[in-house]
Amino acid sequence: MITLYDYELSGNCYKVRLLLKMLQVPFTTRALDFHPAREHKSDWFLKLNPLGQLPVIDDDGLLLRDAQAILVYIASRYDDSGVWYPRQDAAALGRISQWLGFADSLTATAGAARLHDTLLQAADIVACRARAHSLLRILDEHLWFAEQEAAGWLCPAEHPSIADLACFPYVMLSEEGGISRLPYPAVRRWGDRVKRLPGFIPMSGIFPAPAA
Amino acid sequence: MSRWFAVSASREIPRGHIAHTQLLGQELAVWRSASGELNAWENRCPHRGVRLTIGSCVGEELRCQYHAWRFASGSGQCTYIPAHPTQKPAATIRARAFPVREDGTFAWVNLAPEAAAAPPPDPGIARALRSMFVQAPVAELRAVLLGGYGQGSVTATDEYTLLGEPDLEFMLQPVSDRQAIVHARLRGHREGAERLAELRHHNALLSAVRDRAEAAA
Repeated sequence: MITLYDYELSGNCYKVRLLLKMLQVPFTTRALDFHPAREHKSDWFLKLNPLGQLPVIDDDGLLLRDAQAILVYIASRYDDSGVWYPRQDAAALGRISQWLGFADSLTATAGAARLHDTLLQAADIVACRARAHSLLRILDEHLWFAEQEAAGWLCPAEHPSIADLACFPYVMLSEEGGISRLPYPAVRRWGDRVKRLPGFIPMSGIFPAPAA
Repeated sequence: MSRWFAVSASREIPRGHIAHTQLLGQELAVWRSASGELNAWENRCPHRGVRLTIGSCVGEELRCQYHAWRFASGSGQCTYIPAHPTQKPAATIRARAFPVREDGTFAWVNLAPEAAAAPPPDPGIARALRSMFVQAPVAELRAVLLGGYGQGSVTATDEYTLLGEPDLEFMLQPVSDRQAIVHARLRGHREGAERLAELRHHNALLSAVRDRAEAAA
C-alpha cells in the first residue's frame, strides 16, 4: 500500500491525495510537521528525500519524490482506463509534460507568495505575485480557447489529465498569497469543472462546488 | 451611476456558475441558477460579510460558504439559516441584488438600485469575442481603441461604447480606477473553423490593445 508523506496545507501534497481519491487507490498518510518544526528538513526525512521537499510516496519500497513525478507514476500504475495519463499518445504526453512544468512554475510563484503570506517564509513577494499573474494570464487565455475548441481541460481531450490536477491547487490557493483571480474568468470556470469531477476532495482554502 | 454596463458574455456564465467581477469598484457575484435565472449581487454575505463568490449555487439558491445561509435567486431573500432550521428568516435579511439584464450575447448590470431606463437595445444575432482584462484605467483603454483597431477606425458612441468596422461593437467595463475590461462582439453568425479563426484573430488584436494601454498607464 502507498504511504504518502504529507502536509495537509501543502498544495503539492493535496494534488497527490486528489488523484489517489479520484482513482480510489487506498493509501495511508504520514503527517509531517512542516511548520513550525520543519520536519521536512529533519535528518530522517532527508534520507527519504535529500531535497527536503514534500510530498514523497513509498509504494511497497518504491520511493518517489516530486509531486508531478508522483502523479505520472500513480496514473501510469493505477489508472487502468489510461485517461489521466494516456501512455500511448505521444502528443498528449508532450502536452501534459508542458503543463507539469507550468505547475512547477506556479509552485515557485503563487505557491511561494502563499508561503510568504501565511507561514512568513522569505520571498521576493512583488516578483512572485507579478510572475504568478503573468502565468495566470497565459492560463486564462489557454482555457478560454480550450472551452471553444474542446472540453475545457488543459489538454484537448474529453477527459481531464494529470496536468489539470497538477496546476489546480496553487491556482485555487492564489488569493492566500495576495494574488486576485478576478481577471481570470475562464480559470474560474475550469476550477468549477475540476471541483465537479467524481471523487473530488477539498482542502483548507479550496471549497467544493456541488453539481448545479 | 444609473447606467448599464456589459459585464460578461452570457454564455460564459453557465447554469450553476458564480462569476466574480467588479464594476466601478463594486465587487459582484454574478451567478446563474439551475433554471437559468441570472443574478448580479454585491459580493458580500449580509450575515458576516464574506464573499459570496466562495459559496455555491444550489438549485435556485446561492449558499454562503461560511455558515451555509441560503439566498433566493431573483430577490436575494434569505431562505434558510441552518442554526435556526425551524424559523423563517426575517424579510430584512437579503443579499443586495443589482438590476441585471441579458440581450442575445451579453449580461448587463446597473448599479442604480431602481434602474428606470432599459439597457441598450439588443443588436440581434451577434457573436461575443474573448473579453480582455486590462491593468489600466478605462480612459487609457478607450484612447488606445480610438487610435484604431486592426486596419479599421473606431468611433465612440458614448463614454463606454465604441464602434469598429465592420459591424464591431466594443463595450468598456470600468473595474476600478486602475483596471478595465473591453468586451466586444460582431454582428451576424459564423460557425466552425471560420469562427475559431476569427476568435483567435480578434484575441490577438485585443491583446495588442491591452498591451498598449498597459504600457501607457
